[in-house]
Amino acid sequence: MLDWLQRTSLAVQIRDSLFAFPLIESAHVVGLTLVFGTIAIVDLRLLGIASSQRSFQRLASDTLKWTWIAFALTALTGALMFITNAAVYFHNSYFRAKVLLLVLAAINVFVFELTDGRTVQQWDQAPSAPRLSRAIAAVSLVIWLAVIATGRMIGFTTTRASLAEPAPVETNFEDLLGLPADSGSEPATPPAKE
Amino acid sequence: MKQFALWLSTTSPSVFIQEHNAWAIPAIQSIHIVGIALVMGSVLMIDLRILGWAWADETLRRTTSRFGPWLTGSLWLLLATGILMVIGEPVRELVTFSFWLKMALVAVGALVATIFQNTLRRHEQHWETTLIHRRSIKALAVLTFLIWVCIIVLGRLIAYDHVWGSWSPSERQ
Repeated sequence: MLDWLQRTSLAVQIRDSLFAFPLIESAHVVGLTLVFGTIAIVDLRLLGIASSQRSFQRLASDTLKWTWIAFALTALTGALMFITNAAVYFHNSYFRAKVLLLVLAAINVFVFELTDGRTVQQWDQAPSAPRLSRAIAAVSLVIWLAVIATGRMIGFTTTRASLAEPAPVETNFEDLLGLPADSGSEPATPPAKE
Repeated sequence: MKQFALWLSTTSPSVFIQEHNAWAIPAIQSIHIVGIALVMGSVLMIDLRILGWAWADETLRRTTSRFGPWLTGSLWLLLATGILMVIGEPVRELVTFSFWLKMALVAVGALVATIFQNTLRRHEQHWETTLIHRRSIKALAVLTFLIWVCIIVLGRLIAYDHVWGSWSPSERQ
């Protein structure tokens, strides 16, 4: 399965292109910043830290549709990155932790929907949500921070499968360690391509 | 610049980050991403308010005073973590085309955010009654959002500066 994914023509095209992976990864970051940025607005409202004078339902409907649009972009670009090197990502511990955290985030939302989410009319105007929802909001913020951190770690613990380039740029900080004083060559960047 | 970057990489703060790079660099980058996420959330909401697509039942002033301080605070967080990233990996950051183009756009983005918050404070009535309905202002809101998107893309491209080909100083040996 993993092997098949890596050999699909889409995966090959992304690997072979000099631009595709960096641009897909950039779009992934744009998407995830919007996901976290909008979720934080909702969580901070539940906690009573920000927007506490505003109706929760109004705030949620103004915000969460953008979360979903951004999440779709992030998931799509994440999947595209995954297939370029499926076997490596699949066995990476940070990748697995990240997937687990995303499942926990989904469960967290479900718990909210099944509990205080049903009685939202009662606390819609209150400056902060009931205790359980405040806990859910705090857990949500922690989970998403951990998603960002584990996501970043994936880039540092996997080497990019690539035919076009010699060196995975992400891990080149190691090269700086043994930096020669009169460095004529460039240690932190890949050699010039032909 | 390369000489400066090489010198910076020999200073003790830089050496410290390099020696602890296994956790320090990803940790600083993660905080940097959280900072840009808060900027994106805030810019998106203020821009949606200007477009009338969200928060339309409250004044522009109110939306801006909710998100403006978070935007400004996050920009300081980004500056601090950004400086740490440059200190930690001077050559990787400074000897790229992406970094300098990004800095130019950051200057524009930060300037727009500051000017907007200041003029809104001074000419509140004019903004609420007239300016917010102008097409040019709405277009400017979209443009501002796109500037921040470009800033994120360029930030990521620092790691892939070769995409710029001969524009990238690291490609010129």
